[in-house]
Amino acid sequence: MALASSAWTEPTGFTGTGGREKDGVGSTKAESRGARLGRVARAVGEATRPRRYSAGALVAHGVTGRPWRPAWRHHELGSTYDAVIVGAGVHGLATAYHLARDHGVRKVAVLDKGYLGGGSSGRTSGIVWSNYLTPEGVRFYDRSLRLYGELSGELNFNVMFSPRGHLTLAHSDASLRAMRWRAEVSKLHGVDSEVVGPEEVRRLVPLADVSSRARYPIMGALYHPSGGTVRHDAVNWGYARAADALGVEIHQGTEVLAISTAGDRVTGVTTNRGEVSTPVVVSCTAGWASLVSDMVGLSMPIITRPLQAAVTEPVQVLLDAVVVSGTLDVQVSQTDRGELVLGASPDPFASYSMRGSLEFTEEVAGRVLQLMPSVAPMRLLRQWSGLCDITPDLSPIMGPTPVEGFLVDVGWGTNGFMAGPAAGQAMAELVATSRTPELMAAFDLARFAEGRLVEERDAAGVGH
Amino acid sequence: MILIPCPHCGPRNASEFAWKGEHRPRPDPARASPAEWRSYLYHRANPCGWTTEVWFHRAGCRRYVTVERHTLTNEVRRAVPAGGER
Amino acid sequence: MTATARREARRLPRQPGEVIDRDRRFEITWCGRPFPAYPGDTIVSALAASGVRAFSRSSRYHRPRGILTASFHDPGCTVQVGGEPNVRGAHRRAEPGMVVSPQGVWPSLGVDLKAVSQLVGPLMGAGSQYKTFMKPVALLPAYQQVRKRLANGGRLPADPRPACYDKRYAHPDVVVAGGGPAGMAAAVAAARAGAGVMLVEEEYELGGHLRWGGPDELAALAQLRVEVESEAGIEVLTNSVVTGRYEGNWLAIVQRPAPGGPIEAGGPQAVVERLVKARARSLVVAPGLIERPYVFEGNHRPGVMLSTAVRRLINLWAVKPGEEAVVLTANSSGDAAVADLQRAGVEVVRVVDARRGGGIVRALGPARSRRQRAREALGGGLEAVLLLGGAGGVGGVELPGGERLECDLLVTAVGWTAPTSLLDMAGDRPFYDERAARFLPGGRLAEGVLAAGGIAGDGPLDQMVEQARAIGRLAAGQRGEVPASPREGHPALFRSSTHGMVDYSGDVSSRDLVAAVREGYDSIELAKRYTTATMGPSQGKLEVANAVAVVAEATGRTMDETGTTVWRPPYAPISLGALAGPRHEPVRRSPMQAWHEAHGAEPVVEGQWVRPGHYGDPEAEVLGVRHAVGLMDVTPRGKLDLKGPDVPKLLDLVYANRWAGRAEGAVGYGVMCTEEGVVLDHGVTGRVGPAHYLMSTTPAGEATVWEWLESWLQTAHPEWKVHVTPLTAAFASIDVAGPRSRQLMERVVEGVDLSPEAFPHMEVRRGSVCGVPGCYMWRLGSTGELGYEVNVPASYGLFVWETLMDRGADLGVGAFGVEAQGVLLLEKGHLMVGQDTDGSTHPFAASLDWLVELDKHDFAGRPELVGPGRGGGHQRLVGLQPLDPALVPPEPCLIVEGEATISGRVTSSRRSPTLGRSICLGLVAPHLATPGTVVTVVLPDRTRVGARVMEHRAHFDPEGVRLRA
Repeated sequence: MALASSAWTEPTGFTGTGGREKDGVGSTKAESRGARLGRVARAVGEATRPRRYSAGALVAHGVTGRPWRPAWRHHELGSTYDAVIVGAGVHGLATAYHLARDHGVRKVAVLDKGYLGGGSSGRTSGIVWSNYLTPEGVRFYDRSLRLYGELSGELNFNVMFSPRGHLTLAHSDASLRAMRWRAEVSKLHGVDSEVVGPEEVRRLVPLADVSSRARYPIMGALYHPSGGTVRHDAVNWGYARAADALGVEIHQGTEVLAISTAGDRVTGVTTNRGEVSTPVVVSCTAGWASLVSDMVGLSMPIITRPLQAAVTEPVQVLLDAVVVSGTLDVQVSQTDRGELVLGASPDPFASYSMRGSLEFTEEVAGRVLQLMPSVAPMRLLRQWSGLCDITPDLSPIMGPTPVEGFLVDVGWGTNGFMAGPAAGQAMAELVATSRTPELMAAFDLARFAEGRLVEERDAAGVGH
Repeated sequence: MILIPCPHCGPRNASEFAWKGEHRPRPDPARASPAEWRSYLYHRANPCGWTTEVWFHRAGCRRYVTVERHTLTNEVRRAVPAGGER
Repeated sequence: MTATARREARRLPRQPGEVIDRDRRFEITWCGRPFPAYPGDTIVSALAASGVRAFSRSSRYHRPRGILTASFHDPGCTVQVGGEPNVRGAHRRAEPGMVVSPQGVWPSLGVDLKAVSQLVGPLMGAGSQYKTFMKPVALLPAYQQVRKRLANGGRLPADPRPACYDKRYAHPDVVVAGGGPAGMAAAVAAARAGAGVMLVEEEYELGGHLRWGGPDELAALAQLRVEVESEAGIEVLTNSVVTGRYEGNWLAIVQRPAPGGPIEAGGPQAVVERLVKARARSLVVAPGLIERPYVFEGNHRPGVMLSTAVRRLINLWAVKPGEEAVVLTANSSGDAAVADLQRAGVEVVRVVDARRGGGIVRALGPARSRRQRAREALGGGLEAVLLLGGAGGVGGVELPGGERLECDLLVTAVGWTAPTSLLDMAGDRPFYDERAARFLPGGRLAEGVLAAGGIAGDGPLDQMVEQARAIGRLAAGQRGEVPASPREGHPALFRSSTHGMVDYSGDVSSRDLVAAVREGYDSIELAKRYTTATMGPSQGKLEVANAVAVVAEATGRTMDETGTTVWRPPYAPISLGALAGPRHEPVRRSPMQAWHEAHGAEPVVEGQWVRPGHYGDPEAEVLGVRHAVGLMDVTPRGKLDLKGPDVPKLLDLVYANRWAGRAEGAVGYGVMCTEEGVVLDHGVTGRVGPAHYLMSTTPAGEATVWEWLESWLQTAHPEWKVHVTPLTAAFASIDVAGPRSRQLMERVVEGVDLSPEAFPHMEVRRGSVCGVPGCYMWRLGSTGELGYEVNVPASYGLFVWETLMDRGADLGVGAFGVEAQGVLLLEKGHLMVGQDTDGSTHPFAASLDWLVELDKHDFAGRPELVGPGRGGGHQRLVGLQPLDPALVPPEPCLIVEGEATISGRVTSSRRSPTLGRSICLGLVAPHLATPGTVVTVVLPDRTRVGARVMEHRAHFDPEGVRLRA
């Protein structure tokens, strides 16, 4: 397995846009001279068009008016792959990317029933942080946050990573203790996280009401300077483009209807566009994990709950840091355009509906105003929701299952986006080497039958 | 807002209730193996479709209610007292 | 031109349907200058009447923007009014004294330095931010700061006046969304059929498009208004919008005030905005149609307007929209606009009829000569921008074939968009009708949702009104047929041969969309996210159809195949204040809390309760309890009254220890587990009668335990005869603790023998305290001293407290609070659920093995505690004392082995005045739990100190001699 350099390299044999040679058959039947000339001309045109994004390329394209190369291609569905990944969100795309880049496994298809990045990865608030409670969690998310820091350069796609600081507010002695607990675990693992007092909160968040008149006065906060936001769509697109360039096939509008098995092992999948044979199926299907697992007869300790979010009109930028409150159950950040993005914990019941509710906007508005009374005149423009897998211990489920070849990377709750890069790296290693990386070993499915839960429930972030 | 037809109070907003989860029959703890017991504790059907679940009418009659709801449309078609009338 | 002459240069003589009151002129301020206005003017109509043409600059390229639609969602007319940002200037009525300013420009509208972005504009299409500024990484923060400064939002006031927001529940049978002719007719018909109706209209008065129509329309309007007013069963909300339709016709309506006053006259405070929530039996959606802009080069220039904008300006506000106009028309609205323009004295240079193959190529800037003339006349600068749109205003139009016409007003009437948002929220999926050239409702509506008026089809006014009446009757529950709406043909005009603005708010052009499609973002959802088209403040209403058309064209698919984006609530913007409403946060206080605060208590928030933290010297309070007697208010402790012959069965089920066979008066301590074997709560339960028990819970556990008990009784054992009644709020509870507590109690208690033989430790009695009958007294000794917890009927709580303080004065009685109680409990090694336990603590871990009777038949949590759960690798709760007696580690501190292996944590830590040293409780890994082991504690400053595991969890009087006195 060749280790790729950090700048992704062009796959061998790539000759241009669209079309992929039929697998195993070699080149198609002889073509006419005219057609060949046309193809060569297109290929030359493609080859001389700059591939990499950069300021220079921007100027060049702007001046010449030439179109950019497509970020990804459309393919016919092949008949066999080394691995099929279900779900073209951040986990699926990152796994595919790392499979191709780190392990040279390129005959990979990522299937999504909708448009790429249209699932939970497209509906997240894009907040990233790593100061979790359990050592297993901290190690994992820290790796992920570091990867986010380098992702734009790595993928040659600006994912708008903004480490603007992340504050988790404490409104009682009990939550202050929980914050300190998290801080201690973080510090032990080299993650920058410390408890600050109300004055510091005021300095970091001038909008915050730190007076004692508040119903739940702010007694302090857990401050995580490296945490912040990332543009979730850009992460999805960046991984997709990079994976595509390495030869991975991304199939949008392709729904997995069944997974075929022989005995206790996976043999292939049936989709709405045809059947595919493969020894490995990786489920990266936030919100739909139970339904996909049902296809191999596997029951999961997961319930699906919608996670809602809403955004306001823009005002001048007033809020730099990301602010989260567990007691109040709210998180708020402000985009570069000046819109406030509001979130809370998932809906308190299982549902696959992504319609959004009035109760959510009422409650989240009330909570934000408890924190920042002066934003009352801001108007809500849009609300949306995505689906989360909620597990009993709020830790993910990663790795092999009793069905050989069926691997899962699910159960991420509200932390899925945060974990994407590290999860993709780890899952790719598992697929390629059949060995479970240390980083994800504690998150195995078997822990529930064996009573080895990894409890993140007391993290006192936005509650679950 | 989901409307739950509470058998005691009539149709009420779901915000008056607390969701208590999928209805799962409790195995006899004396006879269940650890695997069965843990399956009861942790595994869920989590269907995208009709499901039977338990809600508690916290801001109303304070009775547990077994409800049939479609998890995609949130349509509710039946609600009866959980565990029979008392 | 002088200042006075310039005023109202564009105001027309009286118009038949005008809504302005010319007798009450006032002034508003714009860009620091005064401008005249009348009641009924919008901010923008008043300014336009004085010749102002530009009101904002676009978000990305900072080009000046003028009137496009003259309605709520006019993208170029968002302004700042005083301290209120993002005001829709083409909808908000002007009020005397308003101070209006442009948003997001610096330093001014005329000279906006951010317009420098126009220089790089051609290089920076939508999505360009993803292609650059990736390295060097160190510059990313600086780049973010630059982007922020370039952002275009309005300003929130630094020091906000408290505004009043409100919420209301309404209970109409029928809600009609839209007060145009169809909405009005439907409302009247529903009311006549006996329904209670709420009619909601976005504008300040009912009428929809009839308001700016000709004499026939105005007559029809007058008639309909009379009908609505004469129906008592119709509640009309104007300047309001049905903004969300949720499951089961749960509706959100944002109600905004009439100009100059509160929503209701005579209210105590002006309500700025109100959220009305209603569960309607039927929702009639009659929002009419929204006119669609045409996409062509230069379509963003001030002076490019829609036909409905021109008609509104002339007929509603008597404003002349320009001097020389070219009109591109494809329908009757365009034709009517031509007639209105001519009537208003505008020279109509050319009528380009798209139905006869006519078209336009691009809009041009002002001709050099015109610009020069204007600049000489006005002195350039701000004036030029304001009155001409500066270099950005329309100066002419180019037709196919190259012919150029001079004009300062370019009007388009190319078609309509159906605002199907509410219908989509009801489950409908619109489809594209080729003949009508617009998306139409798909017809798959949820029960109780109906569509009426222009959104559903076309046809003459009277036909539409008849159809709406039929729908109204249907909505009211009457059976009947609804005549089908005809669908008229309309030319499909979306984009000319050039590229222009599609999303005005986001400066997204059709070129951007085409480029996005070519780059692989080739579905409407991906193209929308990549370019941000339809994601701006107009929420897609103006943009979506054109965006779909451009994407369809670029992908070679049909409009129907491309589909529209999913409409999400809210349909109209609604303030966070209205969504939150007036805030009511319940607070629970005991009857004695006022006494505590009057005596210097620091309030401590514990969940919903406010309690006394300490009274100034918590260490003295601790010593007072150890040596004399102290009083503590423990009212928040949960109390559940259990009655019935089967109560012992319930207790056996929920507690890990055995309960059957306890005598009357006996009290037991128990721990409750979840089915996962994790500690849920703990407390004492006493038998106070033959079939009568009282259970106590922790304050935080009160509600949870009650629901827990009810779940077992209702779902698992409905045959058991048990009644559970929460009594926490019915009693005030006072802990009387200390060696002299019996002496104090003897002075105030009647009917109970307090001698140690008659009333030993862990017993409960009922009697009278301070003359108050029906009190319970418990000997629990949680502080480690002889003590009594007294439950008094709540209304006597303060009386009993004060009496005890008075009668115990010579005994040295003093109050002690939560802080001191924490120290006392810690000295005795008592665990606090939620502090010394967490979501994974098993009772074995809490060293409560002695409580767990595994040979007992089924109890909650048992399966996890036998076999694999037993002991095992769980951390154990132990007493700890730091080697340095003066060091009090903060709560919590981690206990580590080696470099970074976490083996436990210090969960409770205080200085003990009784022992004169620091004491702790902590959870440690089993191999460290042997008494005498020295563990390593990491302090927040990273230093590591040692702490010894003690023999007992109790640091003081471990045998419990004192509490058994």
